Amino acid sequence: MSAPLSDPAAPAEIRESASRERREKLWRFLTDWQAMAGLVLVVLFFASAIFAPWLAPYDPNAMDIPARMSGPTWAHIAGTDQLGRDTFSRILHGGRVALYISAIGVSASLSIGLVLGMIAGYGPRWLDNLMLLMFDAVRSFPAVILALATVALTGPSLTVVLAIVILTTIPSYGRVARTATLALRHTEFILAERSLGASTPRILFQHIMPNVIGPLLILAAMEVPVVVSIEAGLSFLGIGVLPPQASWGTILNEGYLVIRDAPWMVIAGGIPLILTTLGFTFLGEALRDVFDPRMGRGR
Amino acid sequence: MTLSNTTRRTFLTSAAALGAAGIFPGGVGMLRAQEGRVLNLRLDGDNSILDPGYMVGGTEIEAQKQCLPFLAEYVRNGDTFTWQPTAHVTRLEYVDDTHIEFELAPGLVWSGGHGTLKASDVAYSYARMKDSEWSGYFDALETVEVTGELTGTLVLSKPFAPFIMVTLCHGPGAIVCEAATEAAGGRFTTEFPAICGPYTYSATPGQRAVFERNPEWTGPAPGFDRVVCHVITEVQAAELAYEAGEIDCTELGPDSLARYSREMPDNTAITTAGQLQYMWMGMNTQHPKLQDLKVRQAIQHAVDVDSILAGAFAGTSAQSHGIVCPGLLGARSEHGYSYDPAKARELLAEAGVSGLQLTLRTQNWQERLLTAQIIQANLAAVGITVKILPMESGPFWEMGMEEAGDTWKELELWLMRFATVPDPYEATQWFISEQVGVWNWERWTNEEFDRLYDEGLSETDTAKREAIYFRMQEIMDETGAYVWINHEPETYAHRTDIEVVAAPSGELNYHRFRQV
Repeated sequence: MSAPLSDPAAPAEIRESASRERREKLWRFLTDWQAMAGLVLVVLFFASAIFAPWLAPYDPNAMDIPARMSGPTWAHIAGTDQLGRDTFSRILHGGRVALYISAIGVSASLSIGLVLGMIAGYGPRWLDNLMLLMFDAVRSFPAVILALATVALTGPSLTVVLAIVILTTIPSYGRVARTATLALRHTEFILAERSLGASTPRILFQHIMPNVIGPLLILAAMEVPVVVSIEAGLSFLGIGVLPPQASWGTILNEGYLVIRDAPWMVIAGGIPLILTTLGFTFLGEALRDVFDPRMGRGR
Repeated sequence: MTLSNTTRRTFLTSAAALGAAGIFPGGVGMLRAQEGRVLNLRLDGDNSILDPGYMVGGTEIEAQKQCLPFLAEYVRNGDTFTWQPTAHVTRLEYVDDTHIEFELAPGLVWSGGHGTLKASDVAYSYARMKDSEWSGYFDALETVEVTGELTGTLVLSKPFAPFIMVTLCHGPGAIVCEAATEAAGGRFTTEFPAICGPYTYSATPGQRAVFERNPEWTGPAPGFDRVVCHVITEVQAAELAYEAGEIDCTELGPDSLARYSREMPDNTAITTAGQLQYMWMGMNTQHPKLQDLKVRQAIQHAVDVDSILAGAFAGTSAQSHGIVCPGLLGARSEHGYSYDPAKARELLAEAGVSGLQLTLRTQNWQERLLTAQIIQANLAAVGITVKILPMESGPFWEMGMEEAGDTWKELELWLMRFATVPDPYEATQWFISEQVGVWNWERWTNEEFDRLYDEGLSETDTAKREAIYFRMQEIMDETGAYVWINHEPETYAHRTDIEVVAAPSGELNYHRFRQV
């Protein structure tokens, strides 16, 4: 492992090489149409969710029963639902639920998975085995069944959805972090730190973590659509957000039930889900190709 | 391991065949004929208690009608219903105001080697019903006198003309096998201890219930050899299954009923069973947040039922004014409160209540959730915050029962719908004092109501009887514990070549379905 490239004491030649490499990566990213398409869609997702209260033409919960299930018009570009609520406004606000779940869910599971993975990879063998067993046990349990069981005990809520998302996605990060840590633990700079008397937390968080976080961030980008889909799926099944809160899953559920009378609800509810999935997938793959070409599409 | 032998050619052939089946409307009927006349229907959930004394009702009654003997059954007569003796009896008639004589058909055997159907089974069944959760149906019955192996007399404690229509034709009138039931410990749940009807019963939880011709049945043959009832919780999903040809008959939701009325799909007819459903929002009068009558009255005034009927039911159902359904004696044309948000705010102010937060529990069905959301918006407009708690059928139907746990203590608001029979007495029985903690989840008692309930049973003067049921509903209004919502029609879409037979309260009787 080389010394940190940002070190001002590093030779100018090395710094120049690193700078050139960064520029090349950025150029590769900017000239990849999938990367740019993904970036645009992701920015659109964040922007529409964050600015939903200003972008939505109507209160997402405001009812106009005489106008129930009316088709797309200039006043309601995605039509209205069974209670006359503006579907477009509900989609925008539903994006906030997706953003909330994905931001908190992915951050929390990434953080927990990172720590557990590093402990598994750096700790004694028995601890590694125990962690792997836990990861596999959690992964083997279907998210929907876990959600149904939890909801039966606690009742449906956004908090339950969040907890399910975090719990079921931790193993993905944990396994990647563990593998990366295993590869690092016997490297020279780690051995040197240990011989200098550095504590385990210091080694883990100051030396190993910066070197394993990169792949995890790429994985996180790829996991966002998975998390959004889990939320939408649970809400579709009626075990996610509570009425009247809009989420893409509840919009799809309500639309599916009246698909022959008001097909625009399913179409309008499905489009953001598809675009978000595509956006994060494109972006994640592009980042992976740029930062870890060995795993790229050319393989 | 067996590997599939599918080739591109076989795949294309199969796809073409499936496409042809979809193109030709007669395909489903032909398939039904070729498969030995299989009828595919929908169940809205698993049957959890088949015992007539402890059932929830609905499709459990449907199962009982296929597998257990009854003395009488409903017959449609134009827009009204009357009754006729079933195939299990050769005679059933009033000999005077308080005596009904019956004679069972000879040679009908119980499954499992439990012998033939006897009059003593009738006596046993109705005696145990008097001590059951459905005992209200048997309040008028004093005893069953067994006069012979196949004959007996139902002795009423007072004249009660609707007894046959209300009790004997409905689920509680099911007769169980004394020997088999006792052998099963006196109660049963998901399996009949013995059957004596046109069909046998088996069920795979969460998937289907299957009724197949009972080889021991010597009565009239059912119209179909096999009835497969697929568990489809959502009515809209069942409608999709119907339109895809997966099932032959399904209940219709309000939006689909409106759409079908405008444009009937091919090979489809509609049968309306009746409007004997009453839906309301209940309030727990003993809950600390709702103990004040003014708070409950405020909630009554705050809910806009017209919006619910338009938004959640597409205008296809009648507004309710109480528990007695339209067309029955005692049905009202108005009730004791009106939609008046200003009055609601005033009452809340008088009660000194502000920032009230309540939980509204409902089954997680589309119409109920839409209804709940309208109520949520209505109550928010008067300053009451409502959290909607959607629930599965199982826990929902137990939540107010004291014997099922402590949830009844937390109950605040809920959406409830009961089905009834063509007599007002049936609907009133669930709200007497004895029913507190059983089906009276509003948990109020009223001596006058209890007295009127008894008087209604024995009163033979129609005008006086009507006055009794008017007054009973007034008392219910005065408790402030009810917001009357609607009476939904039980409407079924089915293939035109099938004759559907349903009770006035909507339960289907599969063995009387016919292919026409």
